[in-house]
Amino acid sequence: MKHTILKCLGIAFVVSLGIAPAKAQNTLTDPEIAHVAVTANSIDIGYAEIAKEKSKDADVLNFAKAMASDHKAVIDQAVALVTKLHVTPADNGVSKKMLADAEKTKKMLRSKSGKAFDKAYIDNEVAYHKAVIAAVETVLIPQSHNAELKDLLQKVAPTLKTHLEHAEMVQSNFNGHGSKHMGKM
Amino acid sequence: MAASIWVKCKQAALLPVICLLLNSCTDNTADNGIQAETAPAAEQPKFEVLTVEIKDMKFVPDSITVKKGDEVVFVNRDIVTHCVTEEKSKAWTSGMILAGESYIWKATESAAYICAIHKVMKGKIVVQ
Ligand SMILES: [Cu+2]
Repeated sequence: MKHTILKCLGIAFVVSLGIAPAKAQNTLTDPEIAHVAVTANSIDIGYAEIAKEKSKDADVLNFAKAMASDHKAVIDQAVALVTKLHVTPADNGVSKKMLADAEKTKKMLRSKSGKAFDKAYIDNEVAYHKAVIAAVETVLIPQSHNAELKDLLQKVAPTLKTHLEHAEMVQSNFNGHGSKHMGKM
Repeated sequence: MAASIWVKCKQAALLPVICLLLNSCTDNTADNGIQAETAPAAEQPKFEVLTVEIKDMKFVPDSITVKKGDEVVFVNRDIVTHCVTEEKSKAWTSGMILAGESYIWKATESAAYICAIHKVMKGKIVVQ
C-alpha cells in the first residue's frame, strides 16, 4: 500500500523533472543516463553555492556544504566510470529540461534574502531530492544497461535519501521557529 | 592509492581476528598448564578492536558495547566524506573521514555520536 503511494508520488516527481515525457517517447541510453546523473548533481552544487553566498544560518550552511561536497564526490565517481568505460556522456532532452528548470529556480533563489531565502532554499532541496530519488529509482536504474553504471546509481540512492532526511530536518526546524514571524511564503 | 586504502581497510578488518587468535592461544596454554616459549602472557593485549562500518549513509552496527580500553575502528565504505562526533557536547570528533579511510576511537566513556556532516546519521557506543 505504502509502496503504491510512493510509486504514484514518484511518477509525479519524475514528471516534474521532465523525465517522464522522454520515457514515453523512448528510453535513455547509458551515455544519456550518465549525462542526466552528472547534470542532476551539478544542479544541486549550483544551489549550494548560492546558499553559501547568501545564507547566514548555521544549519543551512552546514547542509549546503555537505551538498557541494557529496554531489561532487558522485560526479567524480561518474566521470571515473565513463572514462574507464570509454563512454562520452550524451546531452539529451531530459538534461536540457532539468537545466532550464534549474535556471528558473536559481533566479527565484537569488531574488530572496534572509530567512525567506533559507526557507526557499531548503524547501527546494526537499522537493529536488524527492524528484531526483524518484528519477534514479524509477527511470535511471531500471534503464541502465551497463552493470557498473547501475551499481553506481544504486550506491548513490542512499546518499540522496539521507540528504532528503537531512533537508527535512532543517525544514522542520524552520517551520517550528519561523511560523510565528512569517506569513505564508 | 586505491590499493593502499584497501590494504588499510583489510588490516583494520583483520585486527579483531588477530586479537581473537592471540587470546585463544593464551587460553590454551593456561588450560594445558604448559609454559609456552612464545610471548609471555603479560604482553598479550587485553583490549579488543571492533569495527563499525560507515556504509550506505549508516553506521553499521549503530549500537556497540565495548570495554574500557577497547578500540573502535570506524571504516568509511561510502563514496562521500563522513565524520564521527560526540553528540551531546561535541566532546570529541574524528574530523573528516574521507572515502575509504578510517578512524580509531579509544573507548573511554559511553557516547552517543552523530556524523556532523549528515546530522541524521547517528550511533552509540556503550562502554562497560
Ligand atoms: Cu556523514
